[in-house]
Amino acid sequence: MSLISLKDIYKIYNVGGEEVRALDGVNVTIKENEYLAIMGPSGSGKSTLMNMIGCLDTPTTGLYEFEGEMVNDMDDNQLASIRNRKIGFVFQTFNLLPKATAQHNVEIPLIYGNVRRDQRKSMAAAALESVGLGDRMHHKPNELSGGQRQRVAIARALVNNPSIILADEPTGNLDSKSGREIMEIFDALHEAGNTIILVTHEDYIAAHASRTIRLFDGKIKEDFSKVA
Amino acid sequence: MFSLFIENFRISISAVLANKMRSLLTALGVVIGILAVTLMGTLISGLDKSFEKSMEFLGKDVIYIRKYEWFGDKEWWEMRNRPNIKIKHADVIRERSQYAEYVAPISEWYTSVKRADDDINGVRITGTTDTYAMISTAEIEKGRFFSKTENRSGSRVAIIGKDIADNLFENENALGETFQIGNYTFRVIGELEKQGKFLGMFSLDKQIIIPIGTHRRLFTRRGWSGINVKVDGTQLDNATEELTALMRQLRHVRPTEDDNFALNRQDPFKEQYSMIKLAIGGTGFFITVLSLVVGGIGIANIMFVTVKERTREIGTRKALGATPKMILMQFLMESITICLFGGLFGLALAWGGSLIINQYFPSEMPINLALTALGLSMLVGVISGLAPSYKAAKLDPIDALRYE
Repeated sequence: MSLISLKDIYKIYNVGGEEVRALDGVNVTIKENEYLAIMGPSGSGKSTLMNMIGCLDTPTTGLYEFEGEMVNDMDDNQLASIRNRKIGFVFQTFNLLPKATAQHNVEIPLIYGNVRRDQRKSMAAAALESVGLGDRMHHKPNELSGGQRQRVAIARALVNNPSIILADEPTGNLDSKSGREIMEIFDALHEAGNTIILVTHEDYIAAHASRTIRLFDGKIKEDFSKVA
Repeated sequence: MFSLFIENFRISISAVLANKMRSLLTALGVVIGILAVTLMGTLISGLDKSFEKSMEFLGKDVIYIRKYEWFGDKEWWEMRNRPNIKIKHADVIRERSQYAEYVAPISEWYTSVKRADDDINGVRITGTTDTYAMISTAEIEKGRFFSKTENRSGSRVAIIGKDIADNLFENENALGETFQIGNYTFRVIGELEKQGKFLGMFSLDKQIIIPIGTHRRLFTRRGWSGINVKVDGTQLDNATEELTALMRQLRHVRPTEDDNFALNRQDPFKEQYSMIKLAIGGTGFFITVLSLVVGGIGIANIMFVTVKERTREIGTRKALGATPKMILMQFLMESITICLFGGLFGLALAWGGSLIINQYFPSEMPINLALTALGLSMLVGVISGLAPSYKAAKLDPIDALRYE
């Protein structure tokens, strides 16, 4: 059974009276424990697709099913809930709260998920432990390196035990060494059974994934799976 | 939901503390508003106290028969031509009035008193009878009032007010000592308790009471005279009516003529005072509302800036699962917190201010008003935070995440 299924997805914007088809009839299914890279030049619609999969956006037309739930006709509150429970986001710019400690940053999704304080603390600590930051829990983002910040962000994405981890150019703001470390973490998470979706325009990043989708002008141009 | 409330409160506190100066300037309107309303309350409470005390001095059941009206629209020059109040009428009133319980004639004159090198100018010298002690609310602190005999014989004995005792006798025991009123030597037989100022205008303690016979003989044809009548407090109006008729008869006022005397009571003071109080309260209220409105606009403005500054944070929070309502609550809480800080700061200033006011006249900061003021500042926070918070709640997460 597929985890995610997108059927005939169209996303059409009206820019200055002109119709822009950001997604022009996209069909994708993603299974559990897949390691997927979404690629494409800017304007290809890869960001739109990522937002769609991440339940930040809904399609103009088409059906989006996430673990049996129909996302395409959800309201803002339902979308917020599904993002909170089922999706872990990792952003290119980390997007940590600058004044909160690493542990508190990781707790944020749990706070919105209404998890009790003591449970929250231990879950956040475990998530930080799993990305190798057990000794940096009480540091604030400005006391951490770029790579460490991104690891905090990964811990934050993991902490709710989501169905998918959605990473948008996760190494884009990092030096190559830190970038490699981050990719190792993603590889390990995949090994451990997580479903990972990477959005990137770097081939060597996409090479970590076992399946690559290339978008062009809002259409899937290539959907290629590595033979294991 | 409770942990979310705590989280929001934490965010608010740290946001306020991160921008201390900005928060303070933002909340200045609220600070001034709260300061105005509480100081006004303190002032009114102080005025109330001092007014109550002054009214106590007049007594609510005493009718003051005088040549001049204390209040009213009569011209002073009209009243000046009235004949003086004759103190012998006091005896007639005592005999004939049904309502009068105690009657004391009063003669007053201002002059200087001295003892050795010390002298005091403008001391009120009141001549009266021993009955005065029954009418006056001022207690004798030391010694005694003069007796009927001393009154009749025109003894040169005096009961002195607190100011006189403090200035002429300082640390000595004044009882039995002598001093000069004008050129005449008097002996102190009693000291009055401290009475303070009458409506903050003149000191009631700068007074000396002597027998009226003595007063008439030494200071005759000077100063003014009157009659104080203590009546049953529940019969004030009847007593006034009766005394008016009696006085008209005694002074041969024809039926077609107006009264050529005045029966003064404390009630018109109350009316005047409520008007003053209303004026002070109205001004304070106006200042408060104005500064809270201006303050509220300032807070709304800074909250819009805050929402703009933290657009990416809002986007991130939404991506992590915050619903629009949660975001709304977060920014509303922040706006309320700024106002609450402003309110507390204003209250602290007002408390300091009330201590200073208290030095000059006794007053206290009304607790209820302080709590209402805090509530009011929170209300300002809610109202002014509503629009910016709603804007934050409605932000599209994709646009917010992309915001540079």
